Amino acid sequence: PSPPSPGEPPSPLPAGARYFCTVGRGLEPFLTREVGARLAATEVEYVSGKVFFTTNCGLTMLKQLKSAERLFLLLKKQPPLFISSRSKGKVFNEIQRLVTGDPLCWVRAVSIWRSLLELEENLPPEVAKPSKRKTGENENIITKKLKIEQTRVMPGDTECQLQKQKNDKIEEHKDLTTEKENFQEEKSENDGEKEVEHHQGKLTFRVSCRCSGTIAKTFTTEEVGRVIGIALIKQFGWKADLRNPSLEIFIHLNDIYSVVGIPVFRLPLASRDYIKVAGLRSTIAWTIASLAEINVGAVVLDPMCGLGTILLEAAKEWPNASYLGADVSDSQLLGACDNLKSAGLMDRIELFKFCVTELPLHSESVDVIISDVPFGKKFKLGKDIKSILHEMERVLCVGGTIVLLLSEDLHKYLQDYKESNITWNSSKDNTNEFKIVKYVNAEEKNRIQENVSPSFQDDRQEWLDKRPLFGTLVQMECHKVSLGRTEAFISKYKKIHDSELQQPS
Amino acid sequence: MRAQAGMKLLTHNLLSSHVRGVGPRGFPLRIQATEIRVSPVDFNPDFVTRMIPKMEWTALVEAAESLGHLSELPRQLKEGYEKDEDFLRKVHHVLLEVEVVEGTLQCPESGRLFPISRGIPNMLLSDDEATS
Repeated sequence: PSPPSPGEPPSPLPAGARYFCTVGRGLEPFLTREVGARLAATEVEYVSGKVFFTTNCGLTMLKQLKSAERLFLLLKKQPPLFISSRSKGKVFNEIQRLVTGDPLCWVRAVSIWRSLLELEENLPPEVAKPSKRKTGENENIITKKLKIEQTRVMPGDTECQLQKQKNDKIEEHKDLTTEKENFQEEKSENDGEKEVEHHQGKLTFRVSCRCSGTIAKTFTTEEVGRVIGIALIKQFGWKADLRNPSLEIFIHLNDIYSVVGIPVFRLPLASRDYIKVAGLRSTIAWTIASLAEINVGAVVLDPMCGLGTILLEAAKEWPNASYLGADVSDSQLLGACDNLKSAGLMDRIELFKFCVTELPLHSESVDVIISDVPFGKKFKLGKDIKSILHEMERVLCVGGTIVLLLSEDLHKYLQDYKESNITWNSSKDNTNEFKIVKYVNAEEKNRIQENVSPSFQDDRQEWLDKRPLFGTLVQMECHKVSLGRTEAFISKYKKIHDSELQQPS
Repeated sequence: MRAQAGMKLLTHNLLSSHVRGVGPRGFPLRIQATEIRVSPVDFNPDFVTRMIPKMEWTALVEAAESLGHLSELPRQLKEGYEKDEDFLRKVHHVLLEVEVVEGTLQCPESGRLFPISRGIPNMLLSDDEATS
């Protein structure tokens, strides 16, 4: 574990804590890479829609994650609940045991959650959680005690001291739970009460439940939420508050796992404080930029920039490049301008009104092109995409990168086009002929391609993939991602040198 | 209210008129500025060093001069400029700190004017004017 950088408060958890992130389908590998790079994360694993990892980085660093949806402190990760022919009651008991089976785990998790928030924000608890209602004297005393102990800790103190504090806190919690008598028999989820009763050391909480697969056929999320809620009230004396809880519990039950977590931030990571109006999902925008290999001094163009989301994510992460955005729509450009101002990125990103099929730029003047190719009726397959690719290829430097977000239709069209043997010429400026040619000896960043003969059927697919899409543009990678209701493809191309092309025999 | 940003000279150096038939004679676009903004930008010598080779130097100097911001920039690039911090800072100023907020860009061959309004150059051509 690396030491905290100066200015960042000492890590509350030298041994690290375990987290998971929800992530859009298709982005799991990117987030996996990100947690390793940004957080020096260990024990990283992922399933569809979630990435699990351990890190001792604080909230400031955790908040930097760009390809994740939400971040949670991991409370429990278990094999899926066994449903089948068992009675509903038996399954309810098992759900209950998520709480009662290991109460220490819960107490510990809440303690970690608290120390993360309080140490990082360096504020008294009341201010750190502005929307949290005061839940009673005792709780404040506990947290104040923790703070006082911490101010006595000298910088460079060992693990033991922090561990001792954690243990002290757990002891106090234990005392509280054993002495209280007033747990509620009835579930109190429909708390109409506006005033908080001054119970000792009580947290307010809410359970968010997600069920899919087999369990969803027999149980509603409300039922599961209720079982957990009651168990928590009985076990710890917490109070349920649906509207404004201090603590949220997140439970996801499906056929692959049972996962319980505590969201670390109120807002999803995907909701950026520097983007006023997002045109594209910020996570997708960042991922597109991350594939583009933006180096210092690069000229980066988005010729269909819309509200500028991709450029914003790129300029925020890779500030030492020159960013140009263009669109044909005045309203989009105004929106983009607004976004740039809000993000404080007016100096890094310049806007233009021009059309992607007529780029007023020198040939080979751009190092990187990143764009969300518009879907829908205003964009015709065939003629338009060819003009677009032609212009992109022209302005791109040799060795330059293009990363595009393509609709399923467009992606399929381009795949079919690549695999067919259409040979056609462009009458545009008589300098480019577009042929599907054999591509041999592609040299990539991390892999050296062997000479592939098309007669080997096994290698044929790989060979097909490496054929130029278009002139000197070669497809490098393609990733299917979810946009929520629809799916799309992030497709990466590089411009190779003419000499690397080989004419078909 | 923070002033509008504008077109930088770095970017101007990449722009070329694409009016039909004009070809390489569509560069460089002549700048007529009615409103200029000068605003400090953090100096990054690495960035400047990598940008210089991408620039058409004569055109850059001409453009800077036309805006009254030549700033002692030499008309010829000298060897070893990567190590000359003084020089790099001058280039930094010209490339990044001078912006055209209002004005026009003119195609030197066809005379076509492209307006710059609120910092955004409008280079959209009509169907007749365009090459395709």
